[in-house]
Amino acid sequence: MLIQVYGLRKMYRMGLAEVHALRGVDLEVAHGEFVASMGASGSGKSTLLHLLGCLDRPSEGRYWLDGRPVDSLNDTELSRLRNERIGFVFQAFNLIPQHSVLENVELPLIYGGVGRRIRRERSQEIIRQVGLGEKIRHKPTELSGGENQRVAIARALAIDPLLLLADEPTGNLDSQTGEGIMELFVDLHRRGTTLLMITHNREVAAYADRLIEMRDGTIVSDSKGAPPLAPQLVEEE
Amino acid sequence: MLHWSDSLAIGVKGLLLRKHRALLSTLGIVFGVAAVISMMSIGEGAKREAIEQIKLLGTNNIRIKQLQLTGEKREEAERRLPRGLTYDDAILVEESLPFLLGVAPLKFLDAEVRFEGHQGIAQVVGTSPEYEEVTNFRVAEGRFISQFDLRDTKNICILGVEVKQELFGYRDALGSAVRIGEGWFTVVGVMEPKLIREGRAAAIKVRNINRDVYIPITTALRRFPQTGDPSSIEEIAIRVAQAEDLSPTARLLKGILGQKHRGVEDYEVMVPEELLAQAQRTQRIFNIVMGAIAGISLLVGGIGIMNIMLANVSERTREIGIRRAIGATKGAILAQFLIETVFICLAGGAIGILLGFVMAKIITRYAGWQTGFSLVSILLAFGTSASVGLIFGLFPARRAAQWDPVQALRFQ
Repeated sequence: MLIQVYGLRKMYRMGLAEVHALRGVDLEVAHGEFVASMGASGSGKSTLLHLLGCLDRPSEGRYWLDGRPVDSLNDTELSRLRNERIGFVFQAFNLIPQHSVLENVELPLIYGGVGRRIRRERSQEIIRQVGLGEKIRHKPTELSGGENQRVAIARALAIDPLLLLADEPTGNLDSQTGEGIMELFVDLHRRGTTLLMITHNREVAAYADRLIEMRDGTIVSDSKGAPPLAPQLVEEE
Repeated sequence: MLHWSDSLAIGVKGLLLRKHRALLSTLGIVFGVAAVISMMSIGEGAKREAIEQIKLLGTNNIRIKQLQLTGEKREEAERRLPRGLTYDDAILVEESLPFLLGVAPLKFLDAEVRFEGHQGIAQVVGTSPEYEEVTNFRVAEGRFISQFDLRDTKNICILGVEVKQELFGYRDALGSAVRIGEGWFTVVGVMEPKLIREGRAAAIKVRNINRDVYIPITTALRRFPQTGDPSSIEEIAIRVAQAEDLSPTARLLKGILGQKHRGVEDYEVMVPEELLAQAQRTQRIFNIVMGAIAGISLLVGGIGIMNIMLANVSERTREIGIRRAIGATKGAILAQFLIETVFICLAGGAIGILLGFVMAKIITRYAGWQTGFSLVSILLAFGTSASVGLIFGLFPARRAAQWDPVQALRFQ
């Protein structure tokens, strides 16, 4: 199993109110799966994505990533884990606007301490793979939305991630451009990358081979069926 | 792990993307550092000037100078005994204080120096053989005045290097006869050249000794009669063995002369080194005041930069979120913003150093003050600007590093 999550809860304060974003989520994702997550806004799917992506820590619950417990790691260890294992693709692309395509894609490799020559070669290769070989020196502002998202995907792929997390990757794109991006995802899936994608759109979700639906901070349906209770939790009870 | 050179590159890149803002925010540092540099160069120049003056006057010197009395004091003095400073005083000092290394009387004569019809611009000085030792200003060719010249009131002279140059050019001057006033004098020596710089309103006035012509004091007193006391002289130069002897000797001299002059103060005893030390104390106070002003300027500059960096951090919150998401640690974010601030300050420091140099040059040009540059002042300026960057960069950089990645990514 790549992802094993049991009893995951997340709450935070918003002014005086206490928001329960996740109210006990159990989820298992195997290596190589392509999972789509749907749900209304406020259903907790983004919070789940952030927790799975080690951007945030759960208030309660256990999380193993590739067999390694993650919930006890400190901030620096989580940063390193994100850097080495996890790729993010966001709805708003989240590229650094002043940097060129190449510089954006290189960035995770820089933080990973990869040498100049190797990271340059690797980035160039990935950029070619997503079909932007001609625009390697361009700035994000000089590119279309679809091209920007391709750069973001290239950046996520530069480190050869164990897990690729996408938060509404086609949300800012027209349907035709979105299809191109989804084809890229399907291709990645075919080559063995594990993907977890949030979307509002059923058509987009149809590209995935597993669908989970969320409501009010819990998973209400899973096309693969609910996971068995974790052995640890059984022992505790 | 992020490599340090990449960390440096990230910081510098962030800076270069906001050149104008960085440049403007650094103005406080620029002026602060410029003030430090020009101040230190003025101080350095003053120090060099003081050292030169000491060298020119000779070390461990005491000078007794004739004072022109005016008004009531003058009437009082005339009633008692109007003699002023005399050759007898010099002899008395020499006899009563045998430990002195040398006592040289100086009599300045208002006489023209001519050779083959050329008139040289010169100051004729009557003195004794000890002058060389006292002032450490020596003959380069031939010889100086001897005891025999003194005893026999000989008509010999020693030319300062500029006078020799003017009258003789590159010809040999030794043995030639020059006309000084109404008499003929044989040139027996030429003095060594001394570097003299036109200084600011200095603590001690130094004449251009390269234009001196020396003759025996006895000759000066006998052959150039004038009004007033026939043995009156302008100055007595004294040299003691070591610096510690200066003040006690000066006190002794005042006692001896006070008795001889019956309390009439028609002379002054001065110790050039003490005057210079006094001048340097004044300079130090000036330096402290200037340093404080420069310090305030740096402080204000630092606060300005902190302000800009804080604005920078909140403007780039999303960028911080992106970097955190793809694996930048808190430390990497901290380093990025700290490096940016330090580089802004270093750039400001570099510009400030240049500006300081220019200011010092302008001061040299128009005020005539000597200025000097030292490596220390440059290192100090760089050190100060780097520390300002570190101190005032830390707060914004910490704030950047503390951003929660999820919050930062949501930031618009």
